Amino acid sequence: MQRIFQIDGEETDCWLGHDGSRFVLNTPTGAVACQLDPTGLPGGYKLRAKGVVRELRLAVGPEATFVHTDGRTYEVGRVDPAERLAGSDGGASDDRLVAPMPGVVVSVAVKPGDAVEEGQPLLVIESMKLETTLTAPRDGVVAEMPFAEGDSFGLKDILAQLAPEEE
Amino acid sequence: MRRIESQIDTNAADYKANFAAMSERLKEFHARQHAARFERPQRDIDRLARQNKLGVRERLKLLLDPGTPFLEFSTLAACREYDGVVPGAGVVTGIGIVQGREVAIHANDASVKGGAWYPHTVKKVVRLLDVALENRLPVIHICDSAGGFLPLQHGVFPDRYLGGRVFRNQVKLSQANIPQIAVVGGHCTAGGAYVPTLSDYNIIIEGTGAIFLGGPPLVKAATGEEVGVQELGGAVMHTSVSGTGDYRAATEQHAFSLAREIVSQWMRTPKTIIETAAFEEPYYDPKELYGIIPKDRKTQFDMREVLARIVDGSRFHEYQPDYGTTMVCGFAHIWGYKVGILANNGVLFNDSSLKAAHFMQLCNQNRTPLVFFQNITGYMVGREYEERGIAKDGAKMLMAQGGSVVPKFTVIANASYGAGNYGMCGRAWDARTLFMWPQAEIGVMGADQAANTMADVKIRQLQREGKELTEEEIAAIREPVLEKYKRDVEAYTSTSELWDDGILDPADTRNALGMSISASLNAPIDDPHYGIFRL
Repeated sequence: MQRIFQIDGEETDCWLGHDGSRFVLNTPTGAVACQLDPTGLPGGYKLRAKGVVRELRLAVGPEATFVHTDGRTYEVGRVDPAERLAGSDGGASDDRLVAPMPGVVVSVAVKPGDAVEEGQPLLVIESMKLETTLTAPRDGVVAEMPFAEGDSFGLKDILAQLAPEEE
Repeated sequence: MRRIESQIDTNAADYKANFAAMSERLKEFHARQHAARFERPQRDIDRLARQNKLGVRERLKLLLDPGTPFLEFSTLAACREYDGVVPGAGVVTGIGIVQGREVAIHANDASVKGGAWYPHTVKKVVRLLDVALENRLPVIHICDSAGGFLPLQHGVFPDRYLGGRVFRNQVKLSQANIPQIAVVGGHCTAGGAYVPTLSDYNIIIEGTGAIFLGGPPLVKAATGEEVGVQELGGAVMHTSVSGTGDYRAATEQHAFSLAREIVSQWMRTPKTIIETAAFEEPYYDPKELYGIIPKDRKTQFDMREVLARIVDGSRFHEYQPDYGTTMVCGFAHIWGYKVGILANNGVLFNDSSLKAAHFMQLCNQNRTPLVFFQNITGYMVGREYEERGIAKDGAKMLMAQGGSVVPKFTVIANASYGAGNYGMCGRAWDARTLFMWPQAEIGVMGADQAANTMADVKIRQLQREGKELTEEEIAAIREPVLEKYKRDVEAYTSTSELWDDGILDPADTRNALGMSISASLNAPIDDPHYGIFRL
């Protein structure tokens, strides 16, 4: 997937190339040769494709191009696949908060049984002169908070455990 | 390149508290900067007027292209020395634009002790000339100095990086085919006489400018000869008799228009080409940095939020986003220039050090300048990490960083402690420019740790002598140590001592970096090569 065009809400997977003399629009159903010649009017072009000639006016924006033709306006959105697919590599969130390094618990904000929301601070730890706030990886209920304020913990110790999610 | 999705809530209480704290700090910072630039005792202002001289800032205005930026270095140099009476160390340095060209500026400020060279003045000038050498920037000297400050001559004259280094660097610049102009708008006496005479071009202003190895009083004392300033070393004598001066200027305005004309005669060498993209302002407002930087230095924050307010379009291509996550590495653009960014999101572990080393090699291979954002409390300590070879992985990072051939730029954004400072291109590692944010700290360790360590040594020594100490006595030992150390690690101490090129308002960081990168491209980039990596 190199490029996605969004035309009036519908998405098409295509790629615009050039074969040395003219543009070629590669679509999932085949390649279409086309030619775009300026007419001299601001944003004005003549489009030739599949034996048809059409006059267009184009306005290019940062994320979409607006095509005016035959009294209608089409919005052609350009979607970057890297952006579209971002985040699709993220796995299911864990129920446990594991210590990223050895350290000391500075403060504990919740207790077992508390309902928490994703991103809510659970506890603050200190290690190597830095205080780090550890937050809930998802919405849920706290099952265990094994360490109290002032306790030391080791690398990969479990600092907080959420109750398993009910299906 | 994708845009960073900010998670910052600008209505949150934390954000607002941070914003208020940073705004308060910046108010003080801007006031101090203004004072160092413009506030002088009336007698000094009167003296300049009596001598028919313009102030250094007015001279810069005549020299630089109107409406162009001037990247001033170390405005607050010496702010914690000499009881604060030598603002800016008595000299203005920076990178400015003359006839469309980037040039390095070295201008004496005669409103400060007659422009005398204090130890910190020399340090600031030597640093500027090093910047000129590294970046191949032509230099314009504006000379107006009473000479070395005699009571402190030991700190001005004898050592390797003191007075002589100014002239040595001038020779090296000339040897490297980097042109220099000196505008003599005051006396250049003794060593100071070599600044204009080692410059390729010099201009002497009639009436105020003079060059001599010994001034009239010294000549009288040495040989008994009585001679006036103008006959001994004035503009007319030097430009028509001795040939020491090249151009005679009737006024200051005349002198600086001549200097501009000379710059326009120089050959323009093309700049080094690196990847660029169309210029784009950050999507997120740089002023939001004030609310992101925690008011308590110990509080962790996500450097991606900082980068989102510095780089073009807030766009960042992150490298190895799931490995060694305390080290954020990736590509971005600043002022359209492609850069590789290394930013700390916590302590350096084995994996984060290896990631940094690998990323720097990628950037060197790819001719991509490196930008470091420091918030580093150090490399991880403890048995587990030593067994995994943290010292050897740290060494790999240093080898890659120190061996980098691409230009490097450093921003000390928060903490800069211990070896982390080295790995992240601290002052000793030749960053082309290095700036600090006003709340940042620099030292071998944090203030609490240092105070405890120093107090412990003292306490154990007393205990060996058989003394038992009460809590109060321990506090009495610890507190003064802590107070002094806290002051010593502050950004104002660093900038006073020229351990950096200046303190920045965080919102100005993007522009300071853009200008630094642009200037660095006047010098070529070597092919990558390294020392031995301890694998």
